[in-house]
Amino acid sequence: MTTFDDLVEAQDELDAIVIDVLGSILGEEAAPAHLDLPDGQVATARLAIHDEGDDTFAVVEVRVGIALARVMAGRMMFVADPEDDDVLDAVAELGNICGGNVKSLLCQHARLSLPSAEIGSGLPALSGASVRVRAVVLGHLVELAVTPGAPIEGLDWPPAAVDEELERQT
Amino acid sequence: MKILVVDDSKAMRMIVVRTLRQAGFSGHDVVEAENGKEGLDLTQSIKPGLVLSDWNMPEMTGIEFLRALRGSGDSTPFCFVTSEGSDEMRTTAEAAGALGLIAKPFTEDAFRDVLGSVVPS
Repeated sequence: MTTFDDLVEAQDELDAIVIDVLGSILGEEAAPAHLDLPDGQVATARLAIHDEGDDTFAVVEVRVGIALARVMAGRMMFVADPEDDDVLDAVAELGNICGGNVKSLLCQHARLSLPSAEIGSGLPALSGASVRVRAVVLGHLVELAVTPGAPIEGLDWPPAAVDEELERQT
Repeated sequence: MKILVVDDSKAMRMIVVRTLRQAGFSGHDVVEAENGKEGLDLTQSIKPGLVLSDWNMPEMTGIEFLRALRGSGDSTPFCFVTSEGSDEMRTTAEAAGALGLIAKPFTEDAFRDVLGSVVPS
């Protein structure tokens, strides 16, 4: 039994996190939704939680259609026409806030990776173990997915955590 | 007063600066840094009256930044603005000498409550 085994039972709390974070960032009311993200360009933030108690990982992903991602970046950075770098920064921070809140919800003795973000077409499939919640804001869907045991390759960790990882490996 | 805002996200630095204004802390000279190492260098050179720092950052984390400051005898008021607001992190922050921890997402009320004693309106 690991920290991330009870994710399905935390679905209401995950719903609350994504709604709260979107409401705060955009200054707009968000509501739970049960639709799939439409096809097209998507901005995705990805980061990992490492539960140091049982040495397990979960990957947190936040997916936002590109139109909403641009609105979000514009509102966060006070620009009318954000560059792609601004969109990536804004979506990474959205992922970071969601990830930090998911970590605080699920485990105490854990560390959080740095967020990475990308813009692309076509969504890579999530694992069957993923727990997903979706919200609608400004008429657009946002998806938060938490996947226990998903690969963490390509994610960076804060420097102190890197030192701890090296200590563990030696 | 000089206020140093340290966060690896440009978007979040801009939101923090806006929230300071919305909380009634206007007219201060805000300086920005992208990680704890830059923040430490700037704190030593510009002598801010307050540091607002993220926790999870590349190069040097916020808690390492705070411990380095306090280790050098610097008692500049320091508050975390971070996505993780667990009891464990609040205790760690306080033990290291932080004024407080404001969890993201935040409101201007949280800024007023935590910073009201150190930032003139």
